[in-house]
Amino acid sequence: MSHNVHGHPQMDVQVERKFVPKVKDLGPDVNWAQINKDVLRSLEKPRPVFWIIFFSALALFSFGVYCEVYQYQNGMGVADLNNPQVWGLYIATFIFWIGMGHSGTLLSALLHIIHADWRKPIYRYSEAMTTFTLLTAALFVMVHMGRLWEFYYVVAYPNERWTWPNFTSPLVWDATAIGTYLTSSLLFLYMGMIPDLAICRDNAKGARRALYKFLSLGWQGTDRQWGNFKVAYMTMACFLMPLAVSVHSIVSTDFAVSQNPGWHVTSFPPYFVLGALYSGCSGIITLFIVLRYVFRFEAYMTQPILNKLIKMTFAIAMVWTYLDLIEYATTWYGSDEVAKADLLYRATGDYALQFWGMIFCAMVMPFTLLIRYVRHNYTVLLIISLILNVGMWLERFQIITPTFAKSHYPWTWTAGWWPSWVQWGIVAGSFGWFTMLFMLYCKIFPSVSMYEVKEMVHEQNLEGKAMAHANPESEQAPVGLLEGGQA
Amino acid sequence: MSTGNMDRRDFLRVLGISGAAATLAGCGHTSIESGVEEVMSYVQPQDFVVPGIGVFYSSTCTQCGSGCGIMGKVREGRVLKLEGNPESGISGGKICGLGQAGVQAHYNPDRLHTPMMNIEGGLVPISWERANQLLDEHFGTKSSLQGEQIAFLTGGVSGHQRVVLENFLESFGSTQHVCYDAISTATGRAASKTVLGAEQPLWNFSKARLILSFGSDFLGNGVSPVYMAREFAKFRKAPRGTLIQIEPRMTLTGGNADRWYPIKPGTEGILALGIAHDLLQHPEFSGKVPQEVLDLVKNYDRDAVSEVTGIGADAVRLIAAQLWNNTPSLVVAGPAVEGHAYGFSNAAAVQLLNVILGNRGNSLEGQSEHPFPQMTPTLGSYRALAELHKKMVSGNCQALLIHGTNPVFTSPTHLEFSEAMKKVPFKVALVTHIDETAGQCDLVLPLLSAMEDFGTHIAEYQPSGVELMLQQPLMEKLYPETKGFGDILLDVLKKRKPQEYAVFPDYYSYLKAAVLKAKPVFHSDEPDEHFWETALMNGVVKWEGKPTDLEAKMVPLEVPEPHGLTTDYPFYFVPSIRPDMRDGRHAYLPWLQESPETMTTVVWDSWVEIHPKTAAQMQIKEGDVLLLQSATGSIQAKAYIFPGIQPDTVSMPLGQGHTQMGRYASGVGANPYKILDPIFDAHTGELALHATRVAIRKTGENQKVVKDEGPTNLQNGQKLVATLSADQAKLAREI
Amino acid sequence: MSLSNLIQNWDSFRKRRPYEDQYKDAPYKWAMVIDLDSCIGCNACTVACYAENNLAVVGKERFGKGQAMHWIRIERYWGEGEALETEFPERGAQYLPMLCQQCEAAPCEPVCPVGATHHSPDGLNTQVYNRCVGSRYCSANCPYKVRYFNWWNYPERAWPNPLELQLNPDVTVRSKGVMEKCTFCMQRLRAGQDKAKTAGRLLADGEVLTACAQACPTSAITFGNLADKNSKVARMWKNQQVDLAKNAQDKSEEGVRGYRILEDLNTYPSIVYLERLRNFAA
Repeated sequence: MSHNVHGHPQMDVQVERKFVPKVKDLGPDVNWAQINKDVLRSLEKPRPVFWIIFFSALALFSFGVYCEVYQYQNGMGVADLNNPQVWGLYIATFIFWIGMGHSGTLLSALLHIIHADWRKPIYRYSEAMTTFTLLTAALFVMVHMGRLWEFYYVVAYPNERWTWPNFTSPLVWDATAIGTYLTSSLLFLYMGMIPDLAICRDNAKGARRALYKFLSLGWQGTDRQWGNFKVAYMTMACFLMPLAVSVHSIVSTDFAVSQNPGWHVTSFPPYFVLGALYSGCSGIITLFIVLRYVFRFEAYMTQPILNKLIKMTFAIAMVWTYLDLIEYATTWYGSDEVAKADLLYRATGDYALQFWGMIFCAMVMPFTLLIRYVRHNYTVLLIISLILNVGMWLERFQIITPTFAKSHYPWTWTAGWWPSWVQWGIVAGSFGWFTMLFMLYCKIFPSVSMYEVKEMVHEQNLEGKAMAHANPESEQAPVGLLEGGQA
Repeated sequence: MSTGNMDRRDFLRVLGISGAAATLAGCGHTSIESGVEEVMSYVQPQDFVVPGIGVFYSSTCTQCGSGCGIMGKVREGRVLKLEGNPESGISGGKICGLGQAGVQAHYNPDRLHTPMMNIEGGLVPISWERANQLLDEHFGTKSSLQGEQIAFLTGGVSGHQRVVLENFLESFGSTQHVCYDAISTATGRAASKTVLGAEQPLWNFSKARLILSFGSDFLGNGVSPVYMAREFAKFRKAPRGTLIQIEPRMTLTGGNADRWYPIKPGTEGILALGIAHDLLQHPEFSGKVPQEVLDLVKNYDRDAVSEVTGIGADAVRLIAAQLWNNTPSLVVAGPAVEGHAYGFSNAAAVQLLNVILGNRGNSLEGQSEHPFPQMTPTLGSYRALAELHKKMVSGNCQALLIHGTNPVFTSPTHLEFSEAMKKVPFKVALVTHIDETAGQCDLVLPLLSAMEDFGTHIAEYQPSGVELMLQQPLMEKLYPETKGFGDILLDVLKKRKPQEYAVFPDYYSYLKAAVLKAKPVFHSDEPDEHFWETALMNGVVKWEGKPTDLEAKMVPLEVPEPHGLTTDYPFYFVPSIRPDMRDGRHAYLPWLQESPETMTTVVWDSWVEIHPKTAAQMQIKEGDVLLLQSATGSIQAKAYIFPGIQPDTVSMPLGQGHTQMGRYASGVGANPYKILDPIFDAHTGELALHATRVAIRKTGENQKVVKDEGPTNLQNGQKLVATLSADQAKLAREI
Repeated sequence: MSLSNLIQNWDSFRKRRPYEDQYKDAPYKWAMVIDLDSCIGCNACTVACYAENNLAVVGKERFGKGQAMHWIRIERYWGEGEALETEFPERGAQYLPMLCQQCEAAPCEPVCPVGATHHSPDGLNTQVYNRCVGSRYCSANCPYKVRYFNWWNYPERAWPNPLELQLNPDVTVRSKGVMEKCTFCMQRLRAGQDKAKTAGRLLADGEVLTACAQACPTSAITFGNLADKNSKVARMWKNQQVDLAKNAQDKSEEGVRGYRILEDLNTYPSIVYLERLRNFAA
């Protein structure tokens, strides 16, 4: 191989760069065979903690199922919903889960389009997270419905009476958007997995082999297949990105097009999209740490990648904070007295704890990400990423509950309304359901993209060699892999 | 109710030809859940039934004594809904909530289906054979009961039921028809009789420009609430009349007042004399007022009155001026005035204002003469019960029949009525559902509901002439074992006086014969059948009559101050009467339980109303469980902060606190009757309902007050209810 | 809403409602006037509604949870501002019968995902129980909070035998999971309209009344056909200077007391309230 890979003979330009050596996302000793071995190992025998997580999730999920069956049998009344508190935790948690999904798409699609290669080891599980959060959110649509056995009325399906859903209703937009998003995400996830499934197929035995064989659609890794794959994948990515933005914008219209104080806000669509990305990013950080530990992915989920993720999260958190403050400011300076009273009520009324909890968890806590210690201590980071998401959940809670508690009609105001154990049970169950699905997925499918990490290693090696020629010392710079150290 | 074998002839015999309610043999209970429903043929429907079409039949509401004409919507043999009967001069096609709940009394799941007998302290279902045997033993021809040994305790009864009842007693030589009303207005009626010359004069709202009401809730639960409400609505149209209400606790009527004054309970008469004092200053009165009256009122100058009543001297002057400037006016007194140790004088002083203002002949007239004095309603009183009680305790009462009243629940603790019941060897209750009193009887007979029985009624308050109201079944009886009130008494009478009563197969035929006998009184020359049919169809037969003159006179009566508050009992206790619950007889109707009491919007409960200022002083919050302690006893209820109450007063609604009245009433709230002190009106001997003084103690518990009202009563700066000054409105121009 | 229907009626479908003379050619537009000076707060209307419309009695516990089903409720206010500064409610209480306002531009209608609540040609805001999936968005968006959801399966417990015999066969008994609301007693309207149609005429003024209007002892509730310019309700609207299609009324005359509640939310309610009067000289 030539010493001048890029075909630039002017060595002095590259010498200039030696003082800012590019941080490598992966360590130097990752070879292709090792990648296959490491990732396929995750399908075999995880750490015992996997089973602890899995069965805890299963238990939570079972409790949620119990609550739902109880609610189904007795009516929504068991949730202590009432007039005017008609939505409660179900819609709040629905938005939360929809939001969680968005960052998966951001990582897998947007960063793919702009060739941000550091996404490669972590996009697969993020995309899976998107799919499963959407499934969880869809669950809440069902749980929330008074007559869930008639849920299909919301979908535009052909029928002999020519009855359609009401296309002016944001809920129909919701159903359509989520349906589209879920389908596309699932397709995108699956499509990206095909080359990896082929690797699995080649290494598996028995029933698993049959499964992978079926799913890999006869992938042989020919040039023609790779060519088509790349085009299709890029097309999907381009389709998915605007879709993701539209989905949470549409979810925000559930509120923004309504009459209620505190909901009737123009800035809701971007605010919701950013909120979604925010909670999604911190969700990815959480899962990053969990997967890295459970499946021993230390070689691929490295500190430099995490750093980039954290930087992105912080940036998004700041934009979200800005939009949130804008919402308050416009309400405050606006002439809608009822909305103003509603804002004041949120901050000082029955749900002030939740409001200030949100401000603390989602607006103040991100600043801890600026501390190097936090970024490097995975236990602390895990906790903080969870706190950020608690903050985002509280945000959804305090959009819905205080508005219902004090809307236009004072006679029906409710003071200190609180959800019943059934609602909490179902919310807890949804976390169980998501975790269970996600863990199962990681156990059955490669949660780190093998072929893309190989690409990454390849390119990094090419770059590294070029660098080594330019600046031999940098080769010796210690790069702590397992410790996640940063140069 | 499926008898299945009723032929057309039976049908006609039982229900009369045209007016009868449609009955239907095959109309089983429809089961909503299972969808099991008996199918009815459209091709061969039953007589008088058009499937799917509701037919209206006239009848009379028996939920209270107002005697409103109602119409029952009957469809497929079931009565579905009650509406007002436009033929009736009292209801005029309107109906109150209490009246509409009559269908729930009929369909109540806690209705009594069979006769019951007390065996070893508990009621056990028995057959009618056994019940008849018991009745025969005690009331048959071989009965040794005589004269005053037998007594009949009822609530208000009128029409032919009263006639049959009194004939029943007469066959034993007894006149012991005891009429008890736990919210009796006997004191007020006596005062009205003394001053105005009539117990219940006609109130011509249409002729009055101002109504001054001392604690009279004529819109909620007066003598004829629906009629009064209709008249009041006209009173409010152009030229709009003014209502001034003075009472310790805001009633429904008080809520409609142009000006509402809280007054110390029991001082209404003093205020009335104070107003009279002001009025009599006008030179127009000189020489026209008896000296005794002038002597009486001269002690009641504004300042003195103001001190006693808590109503400012300016207000006294203002009220007097309003009365003077708005003649004719109408001054009315209600339970809040009567329920004191000097309730009679109190009410008489209030009525004196009417005489001074010359309202007689204008806004006040006498009710028309009465063609059927034997059918006028018996009006209950507490004293009647107390006298019966004496007889029961002394062992003079050997048999007691009880109908339409629940003294075990409503009599105050100090009367110990339950103990007296034990001294009576044979007690029979004629009821539609078991209540506390029936629970202590030896024999309980299941009555037909008001929707299943025949009857005639005559209301106490007759706005114009006299209306004989007819009650007819709106559907076939639900339970085969139930029997009409009149039928039960008639069966006994037939045995005792066969020569007079054997000709009547049932109460229906008796009633028909009796009404037809009265035909000449109505100056009707129609054929009998036609007259009867028309009567049933209209639900009312009207006797033209004219208002009579009142013999009002100025009766100067000293009004002593009510006994004051002590440190032991620092609060006046005002038991309020809910328009729907009354004395508690309707507490088993779920619609009424769920219907928020308008002033507080509380449902399914009892509560203690307390003024915000007092509550703040005592650090009482809404929902704090309070212990109300009177000299007689104590009860607990949740606090409700209520601005429409005099600050030294606490109030609690009557009617709740049942222990034995079916699933909807039992265990709901507390019963204020049980803490009433033994204080009686000096003149009439009536129990003084408003004379109890109580102490309040917090129990430390706080429970949610279940009410419709939200956490705030503000309108949030929005125009929800808006008020306009009456002089700015152009009512005359409105449509 | 079939596709062909949608295409054919696109013009009226996309028109902003209400517009001037919207009901000019329509036979019926149901509307109401409630005179707050006549309303005495007696609850006759609420009980009538329970009787007519098979409303479930929910019991103390559920009422306490805010799950009551009263389609019409009497609200009792003590007033605002000056009225609250006095120690006692000197001018009495303020009663407000609140029921579905049958808005012409109803906030509940566009948000229903399945079109279960929609506007009828005679101007009613209707609820199709069979179609309702129970998303409760309509209730969330209703500024008056007069929509009531079946939180429980009320038929199980609300009418123990034989109370169910009282149920009105013309009105559906709603089961759990659907939204319900005041219908202006549409079963009565429907029966009356059919009867009139058979006779080849239109309903006369006052021929059909809602249960609440019929029961009201003070006749505070006037119900009728706004499309008929000679009906009492239409004349009252005109007399009170309230125009259905306006969100801010021109009150050129003094002492006119008709107003609609929360009109500034552009809901165009079909119920006009008349201000309560008080003689402040007393």
